[in-house]
Amino acid sequence: MDLWIAGLLILALFVVLGSGLWIGLALLGVALGAMELFTQRPVGDSMALTIWGSTSSWTLTALPLFLWMGEILFRSKLSADMFKGLAPWLDRLPGRLLHTNVIGCTIFAAVSGSSAATCATIGKITLPELKKRGYPDEIAIGTLAGAGTLGLLIPPSIIMIVYGVAANVSIAKLFIAGVIPGLLLALLFMGYIVVWALLNPGKVPPAGARISFMEKVQASRHLIPVVSLIALVLGSIYSGVATATESAALGVVGSLLLARIEGSLDWGTFKAGMVAACHTYCMIGLILAGAAFLTLAMGFIGLPRHLAEFIGGLNLSPFMLILGLTAFFIVLGCFLDGISMVVLTMAVLLPTVQKAGFDLVWFGIFIVLVVEMAQITPPVGFNLFVLQSLTRREMTWLARTAFPLFLLMLVAVLATYFFPQVVLWLPGLMQ
Amino acid sequence: MRGVLPSFYRGLLLLACVSMLSTLGVIVLGIVARIAAWDIPGLDGYAGYSIAAALFLALPETFQHGDHIRVTLVLQRLSPRVRHAFELGGLAVGLGLATALAFYACRLVWVSLLTHDVSPSADATPLWIPQLAMALGCIGFALAFADALLCTWRRREFFVQGAETARVE
Repeated sequence: MDLWIAGLLILALFVVLGSGLWIGLALLGVALGAMELFTQRPVGDSMALTIWGSTSSWTLTALPLFLWMGEILFRSKLSADMFKGLAPWLDRLPGRLLHTNVIGCTIFAAVSGSSAATCATIGKITLPELKKRGYPDEIAIGTLAGAGTLGLLIPPSIIMIVYGVAANVSIAKLFIAGVIPGLLLALLFMGYIVVWALLNPGKVPPAGARISFMEKVQASRHLIPVVSLIALVLGSIYSGVATATESAALGVVGSLLLARIEGSLDWGTFKAGMVAACHTYCMIGLILAGAAFLTLAMGFIGLPRHLAEFIGGLNLSPFMLILGLTAFFIVLGCFLDGISMVVLTMAVLLPTVQKAGFDLVWFGIFIVLVVEMAQITPPVGFNLFVLQSLTRREMTWLARTAFPLFLLMLVAVLATYFFPQVVLWLPGLMQ
Repeated sequence: MRGVLPSFYRGLLLLACVSMLSTLGVIVLGIVARIAAWDIPGLDGYAGYSIAAALFLALPETFQHGDHIRVTLVLQRLSPRVRHAFELGGLAVGLGLATALAFYACRLVWVSLLTHDVSPSADATPLWIPQLAMALGCIGFALAFADALLCTWRRREFFVQGAETARVE
C-alpha cells in the first residue's frame, strides 16, 4: 500500500514537472494533492504556516546575501584583476594559461556561493583572453565548465546552506569540509590540463615574453582585493567574529566597498546587482517553499520512514548504496537543477542515509559533488546554460567538451568514499 | 487595466529590494551590537521577516521576467499548437495554485491577528505584521498568473523577452 502511494507520488511529480509547470508550484501542487488524498489535516492552513516558517528563518538569510555578493562581484573588475595577477605565474606550466580557468574558479569560489556565478564571472574574462591568444575553444570551454562547479564545493556555498538547513547540519562544518575535496578536484582538473597539453603540444600557443620573478610578484598585487575578500568572509566565520549566516552580510559589505574602491560601483550597477539577486533568490525561494510543504506532506504520509525500512531491508553494502545513489543523482541531474534535487530527495533520503550509518557532513559533500556533476550534464545543467549564453555554442557540443571533467568528478566521489578523512578531517578539528 | 499591472509588479519588486537591504542592515547591526556588547533583542527575528518579505514581494516581477524555472524539455518538442495548449494549461494550473496560496496566506494573517499570535523569539512581534508581506506578494503572484493566462490566450507576449537569465546555484 505504502509503496503504491510512493510510486503514485513520484509519478505525479514527474508528470507535473514534465508538463512544464513552474517547479516551485509543481511541488506545492503535488503536496496539496497528496495531503488532501491521504491525510485528514487542514491542508491549506498547514501549507501557509509551513511556507511562512521555512521562508522566514534566520539561517536562510545567508542564501540571498551570498547570491547578492556574487552579483556585485560579477559586475566588478575583480575577475579581470585576478587574470592579470595569475597569468604571469602560469605561463610556464604545461597547458599555460588554461590553468587560469581552474585557479581563477578555485579562488573565486572562495568568495562566491554559486557555480553559475563563478563560471560566468571567470568565463567572461578568461574565454576572450584565451581565444585571443589562440587556445583551442574546446579545451578552454570544457575546463571552464568543470572548474566553474567548484563554486559549490569550495565555501561559501549556496547548495551547502540549502542542505544544511534541510538536514539540520552545521553550515560552518559543511563549509570547512568542502575545502580539501575542492582543492583535490582543482588539482585533478589541472592534472587533466597538463596531460592534455603534453599529448597535444601543437595545440598550446607559445608562452608570452619571459618576465622576471620580481615582475611576477608585482603583478600579484592584483590579487589583493580577492584575497582580502576571502579573508573577510571565511576569516570571520572561523575566527568566531561572525556566524556562517553573518559572514554573508560581511561579504556583501566587503564586495560593495571593493567595487566602490576600484570604481565599478555606480547607481546603475548597484541597482542591477540588487534586482538580479532578488530575482534569483525569489526563484530559489519559491522552490524551497514548495519543497518545505512537500516534505511536510511526505512526513505525514510516512514515506521517508517506509523508504528507509525498504532500503534497509535490501541489505545493500554501504558501497552499493552510494553507487546506487550516485547513479540515481546523475540521472536526476540530467533533468533537474541542483537545488530542486537536494530539497526533493533529502526529505525522503535522510532517514535511509542515517540508518546506513553515513556521517551527515560527509553525505553533504557527496551531495554537493553529485550536484556539481549535474551542473554539466545536458539537457538541464546550469553551467551549460551560462556557457551557452557566453559562447553561443550548442548545448551538446558544450556537454561533450565538459565530459572528461565529469569523469574526474566521478573519481573525486569515489575518492571521498574510500578516504572519508579527506572530507571529515577539517570539520573534526573544529570542536 | 493591463497597463497598471506591470507597474504594480515593479512596485512590489522595489519593496522586495528594500527588504533585502534591510536584511543586510539588520544582520550588520547584529554583528556590531555583539562586538560592542549592546543588547538589541530580536534582531534575528527581524532579519527572517525581511528576507521572507524580499522573497514573496519579488514573486510577480520575477515571474514576468521569466526567472522562475521549469522543465521545458517536453514543451520544446511539441508543435506550436499543442505547445500553446500546454502553456495555457500550465498557466491555468499555476493560477489555481497561486490563488490557493494567496487565499491561505491572507487567512494566515487573519488567523494570526485573531489569535494575537506573537513571535516566540525575543522580538515578540505580532506575527500578522510581517505576514502581510507574504499575503501581498502572493496576491501579486496570483494576479500575474491571471494576467499571463489572459495575455497568452489572446496570443500576446506576457514574459519579458531577451532578459538576461538568472545565475542560479
